[in-house]
Amino acid sequence: MAAPIPRDIPLPLPAPEGFLEILLVVAFLVHIVFVHLMIGGSLFSLVCQIRGLKVPDYEKLAYRIMQLVTVNKSMAVVMGVAPLLIINTLYAPQFYASSALIGDMWMAVIPLVTLAFLLAYVHKFWWRHFINIPELHIGIAALETALFLFIPLIFMTNVNLMLFPEAWPQVKGFVSALLLPNVIQRYLHFLSATVLSSSLLLVWWTGRKSFAQEVQFSKVRLLDVRRFFYAFAFGATLLQMLTGLLVFVSLPAQGMGWGFTLLLMLGGASALPAVYWMWQNLTRTDHLLDDNFKRIIASFACALVLMGIARHDYRENALADHQSAIKEKTANYQAAVKVAAEEAQLAAKALEEQPRGAGEIAFEQNCAACHHATLPTVGPSMQEIKELYAGDPSGLIAWTKAPGKKRPDSMAMPSFAHLSDAQLTAISGYILSH
Amino acid sequence: MDFPIFHIDFIGNRMLIAVDAILHVIINHALAVGALPIIALLEYIGIRNKDKRWDALAFRLLKIIFIVTTTVGALTGVGIWFSASLINPAAIGSLIRVFFWGWFVEWLVFVSEVSLIMAYFLTWESTRDKPEAKLKHWRLGLFLAAFSWITMAIIVAILGFMMDTGNWQTERTLLAGLFNPMYFPQLGFRTTLAMVMGGMSMICLTYLYTRRELAFRSAVLEVLSKWTGAWLLALAIAAIWYYQVIPGHMLANIPVAVTTQEYVSWNSQLKWLLIFGLAFVGWVAWASFKRPGQVHGAKYALSLVVLVLMLGQFERVREFIRKPFIIGNYMYANGLRVDDYPLLKRDGILQHATYAGIREITADNQVSAGREVFEQTCSRCHTVNGINSIRGQLKNMYGDKRWQADIIAAYVENMHGARYFMPPFPGNKTELQALSVYLASLQKRAAAFNGAQINGIPAPDFISAATHYGNIPDLDTHQGEQH
Ligand code: HEC
Ligand code: HEC
Repeated sequence: MAAPIPRDIPLPLPAPEGFLEILLVVAFLVHIVFVHLMIGGSLFSLVCQIRGLKVPDYEKLAYRIMQLVTVNKSMAVVMGVAPLLIINTLYAPQFYASSALIGDMWMAVIPLVTLAFLLAYVHKFWWRHFINIPELHIGIAALETALFLFIPLIFMTNVNLMLFPEAWPQVKGFVSALLLPNVIQRYLHFLSATVLSSSLLLVWWTGRKSFAQEVQFSKVRLLDVRRFFYAFAFGATLLQMLTGLLVFVSLPAQGMGWGFTLLLMLGGASALPAVYWMWQNLTRTDHLLDDNFKRIIASFACALVLMGIARHDYRENALADHQSAIKEKTANYQAAVKVAAEEAQLAAKALEEQPRGAGEIAFEQNCAACHHATLPTVGPSMQEIKELYAGDPSGLIAWTKAPGKKRPDSMAMPSFAHLSDAQLTAISGYILSH
Repeated sequence: MDFPIFHIDFIGNRMLIAVDAILHVIINHALAVGALPIIALLEYIGIRNKDKRWDALAFRLLKIIFIVTTTVGALTGVGIWFSASLINPAAIGSLIRVFFWGWFVEWLVFVSEVSLIMAYFLTWESTRDKPEAKLKHWRLGLFLAAFSWITMAIIVAILGFMMDTGNWQTERTLLAGLFNPMYFPQLGFRTTLAMVMGGMSMICLTYLYTRRELAFRSAVLEVLSKWTGAWLLALAIAAIWYYQVIPGHMLANIPVAVTTQEYVSWNSQLKWLLIFGLAFVGWVAWASFKRPGQVHGAKYALSLVVLVLMLGQFERVREFIRKPFIIGNYMYANGLRVDDYPLLKRDGILQHATYAGIREITADNQVSAGREVFEQTCSRCHTVNGINSIRGQLKNMYGDKRWQADIIAAYVENMHGARYFMPPFPGNKTELQALSVYLASLQKRAAAFNGAQINGIPAPDFISAATHYGNIPDLDTHQGEQH
């Protein structure tokens, strides 16, 4: 199916395109890391709280995790503004279109995120009020987490839809856009990254000295807690690779390219050392959990950056034809606009050169908006006025200076006392002789 | 014209933005710009007097500020982007291109503001008992107050620009847009109003929080009343300044007398609200300063309501002055540029609207073509059945008389002259006729009017899938592949 080709906004980009693209990739990566940490934090806090029903130490841990969420969620929002701004600038015709096509759900992002944040505050700031009603507390945490998990799906649907203008005509609302091939796979890939990054954060965070001092566990050993998160991180890494493959094979062909494939391979490969180190730490007795931690993070960071670039590369590939067609159409349209403007100017000039009386001109300027020649519009028609005031120009002028209120179902006419007598005489002459 | 048209018929598109934006502005003015300096002030008094109660109160107030500004406050801010770019993508897209760097700086300041409020709030308890750290903490509060003001100062520039493009039309640069003639009066007015609103909202909360410590309450209220009263005087001056500068400047652009009446009626409402409102709030602040413990809480609450109304009315007048443009003299509120008009009037808008479903108007499809024309040209401001519905407007005009298409057409053709807040009709004669037939048909029956988020977009045809224009040769040298 053909893609609709709109015109772009006919104003120059605020900076060189390549520069904006770099900015977009960087800003997006920062944003998405905080998003992962926010969602994963909420998820793990919930998990720990449920475990806390049996093992109270986990409840303490859940509370601590929520403190991280408070910070990460605020960062996720502010850091999201920049990529939104840039994507609006670079891909206006596509991004606004896909947003509009899922408009209801897209707009719902705002109240949903607000609600999720408020729930997170209730969850955290009133922690002690729920001591005796843990079910309610967990219910709130679950709702908050569910919202956090759902919202990315909306974003995913939108950024996927913007890539495929050919699909736009088939889309009728959010659900049909969600069901386009590839969205669910991308979402699963996203979820495993969420678990991966937040569990790694927690491994580090629970390993700090100050953490052991602040949080005194009564039964549970801190080491076991950390192993618990570590196991999650390891599992999520494997899942991440699996879902990554799934995304790759299901990607529509128009964005594929060798460069893109290479970037993906490199990205995947740079995570492999991390897998190896993590496996060692988990299984070998002569290894500590914190061994090679910086290297593991560096390896994942490398993968993240490469994937971020690959993601952008795919978007550029997928939209290349559409973008150049848009450019062409925009230029052609501007030329047509110019031609029409010149024509209109000539026509206006011709009209001006026609001999017209001062009365006619003044009437057009001041009265025509409300008085049509033959039809009643805002005020009565010229014909009606002519019949009313035939032979009574001074009556007409008097009315115009100080209109009364006559017709019950029409508005009051404003006064034109500011016009000169000569103008008013000319106007009345024009109306009465029309 | 170049974007699928999102439309919510029930509350209306303008209303959606307005609700979100007003909520945002109220929270921003009353709880961020106006309230944060007060928190720093209270914290300072606590340090100076070595009185824990001031500190505890400041922290309680900050908690409310933190909770509200980082949830509803921040997200309604993002919501303005979301709603504006759904409803008028052409306008917001143009503004972004012009103001990209302004917004980018704004964003950096915003990031700092959020980081600062987190640092300020989250370290409050851990620095409470360490004198040196406490002093540093207080300085954090000052920074925070400054940054939240700067955020507002940048936004005001952008709003001022939308009202009056100043030299931007000719110079097209960011700075020319930023320092337009409206800037300083608006900034002065907003700053002082925000300070008074912040003062009043903190007074109200203090009143609630100190029910059991009446002596302490009087002490705090005395300080806050002094602060608020001083800003109130500044507000009066700023209001006069604003009132002097802006109406004269704007009224010069208003073509027909009747619309000035409409404007004058709103503006004079604002004037009276300002005069009576300021007098009332001033009286409350004065009483509260003289007899701090004895003013009833309801009076404070009422003052806050008056201030919120003032702000709301101010935004309304500001919006109104801007019409029919969304970007002064460059783009109308319907998303069409002034430059687009000659072409659209010649060929018709349906010939150029990428996502229109009907191109040619025949005797048989007038109603459905008219619906398309309505969607393209009126639906940014009017709903069919909801708020500011076109049905309601027509009913006001024609009542139960039969609505006649040719009378409606005669009206729409000239409406921008009489109702200057509406842009001129952008289509050609046949489209005007079809629109009027559609509008007349609404007297009997209005089918549900949905936007692209429900109806989707039509399959691309020869106009929406092409890149060329009639007999104008393709300008781009390399022939882009067409899908
Ligand atoms: C904003 C719309 C508007 C404009 C502009 C306007 N009029 Fe009117 N006019 C009306 C309305 C509405 C009425 C009917 C008032 C009534 O019956 O109460 C009216 C009625 C009249 C009448 C009939 C009075 C009668 O006795 O029934 C005259 C004469 C008239 N206008 C002259 C003029 C002239 C001359 C001008 C230009 C200088 C003008 N109008 C501009 C809205 C307008
Ligand atoms: C910039 C936004 C905007 C656009 C675009 C717009 N209108 Fe309006 N229109 C308004 C406002 C605001 C009012 C006044 C509402 C009120 O009185 O409360 C109004 C009022 C009206 C009225 C009643 C006028 C009267 O004299 O009482 C009609 C009829 C009308 N519009 C028709 C249209 C038609 C047809 C279109 C499309 C060609 C259109 N409008 C486009 C904003 C707009």
